[in-house]
Amino acid sequence: MDERMVRVIGILIDSFFPLLKAGLMFTVPLTIISFFLGMIVAFTVAIIRVSNFKPLLAIVKFYVWIIRGTPLLVQLFIIFYGLPSIGLTLDAFVSAVIGFTLSVGAYGSETIRAAILSVPKGQWEAAHALGLSKSQTLLYIIIPQAIKVAIPPMANSFISLVKDTSLAAAITFTELFQVAQQITARTYEPLWLYIEAGSIYLIFCSVLTILQSRLEIKFGKSGD
Amino acid sequence: MIKLENVYKSFDHLEVLKNINLTVQKGEVVCIIGPSGSGKSTLLRSLNQLERITSGSVYIDNELVDERSNNKDISKISSKKISEVCSELGMVFQRFNLFPHMTVLENVMLSPMKIKKLSKQESMERALKLLHKVGLTDKKDEYPSKLSGGQQQRVAIARALAMEPKIMLFDEPTSALDPELVCEVLDVMKGLAKEGMTMLVVTHEMGFAREVADRVIFMDNGEILETDRPENIFNNPGHMRTKEFLSRIL
Ligand SMILES: Nc1ncnc2c1ncn2[C@@H]1O[C@H](COP(=O)(O)OP(=O)(O)OP(=O)(O)O)[C@@H](O)[C@H]1O
Ligand SMILES: [Mg+2]
Repeated sequence: MDERMVRVIGILIDSFFPLLKAGLMFTVPLTIISFFLGMIVAFTVAIIRVSNFKPLLAIVKFYVWIIRGTPLLVQLFIIFYGLPSIGLTLDAFVSAVIGFTLSVGAYGSETIRAAILSVPKGQWEAAHALGLSKSQTLLYIIIPQAIKVAIPPMANSFISLVKDTSLAAAITFTELFQVAQQITARTYEPLWLYIEAGSIYLIFCSVLTILQSRLEIKFGKSGD
Repeated sequence: MIKLENVYKSFDHLEVLKNINLTVQKGEVVCIIGPSGSGKSTLLRSLNQLERITSGSVYIDNELVDERSNNKDISKISSKKISEVCSELGMVFQRFNLFPHMTVLENVMLSPMKIKKLSKQESMERALKLLHKVGLTDKKDEYPSKLSGGQQQRVAIARALAMEPKIMLFDEPTSALDPELVCEVLDVMKGLAKEGMTMLVVTHEMGFAREVADRVIFMDNGEILETDRPENIFNNPGHMRTKEFLSRIL
């Protein structure tokens, strides 16, 4: 084997655990925390929109419009590099969580809203005829059915989020991809290191895809 | 029990109910017949405010529940009061509208538990009694999708009865059913009528109307054209349009 090949293999082996560690310690928590908070935002926004809650309707529509209409990278830059100029300095992790939460919240709210609207009108009518209030109807009748519809697309956006968190490298957060960049700067082997980093994302996403299909089987079983 | 006075209803510019005046006494079974699009469903749905009337007044159990003029609410009745009165109306839909994520038993228990605030135990006892009444005790743990249309509709009747309504509204309860399943639903309804339930039934089952109804209303084009005892309507209709309609469907 030629000398270069031996060197590359050595670098890949040495960097595997630092990369995996960065993935497990930073990429995964960033994904989970942002997704969890994002879902809370998404649910709240979706409920405000379907219940036509006037006082907040304009605000949430504006929020969804801004987030969906501008690049995530630009949003992250505004939060991390922009806000300090008005006296609001956030560390890289907090900035990333805010950015990804807002993003998941905006896209997720559309998914959940569509899922809620996919529940047939007859369900609302039957609930009304029984005397359930609008919030009881949402809670007991509509949301349980909407969740089933929303799970596959939400699982997809969770998997996308794992990959999107690599954008946090651009605001100095040392997650998986940032670590790959640092090692590359030392070793000058961009091709192999970025392939290695990509492989670790691939492992994470494959595990999640397996979990996703389990989840869908579980939720697809009861009821219709 | 039910009184409608000068009720009008429009969807945009389409007038669907025109000057409806109707009284239903306690214990009466009234069937509404008429061609498609004549406003039968809309009339029923304006009683429990699934549709808001454009003008007129609606009384349920001697209480004013809606009074409007030019689409403006002039009665100012609180929404709490409205849902209270509306919960005295049970409604059964053409397409059953059972809750698919709940078992049969849970479907029937829901409203006693959540609205009447009965305990789980009491709600279950009440639900089981009603399922027995409609002959579906053995299906209590099934999901609705596992039942035939006739069984689903009987569950829907039990679910509506669980609120102990004083009046039952039926909107073409057998129209979505295969012919061989119609009977089992009509039998349950006949049983209710016999117990003295006040019922307002939109139906195309003329046999049922003839046998069970105290009065039959013929609607056409948003108007009540005539209302009479079933034997008079069927044997000797007072209106040309009624005669035409009956000759088309009988
Ligand atoms: N939500 C709505 N928006 C607009 N038009 C409506 C709406 N609901 C009903 N209509 C119209 O009102 C008219 C009366 O409808 P309705 O459902 O009350 O008739 P129906 O007598 O029950 O007919 P069917 O026997 O077909 O059920 C129809 O012309 C219908 O198209
Ligand atoms: Mg109808």
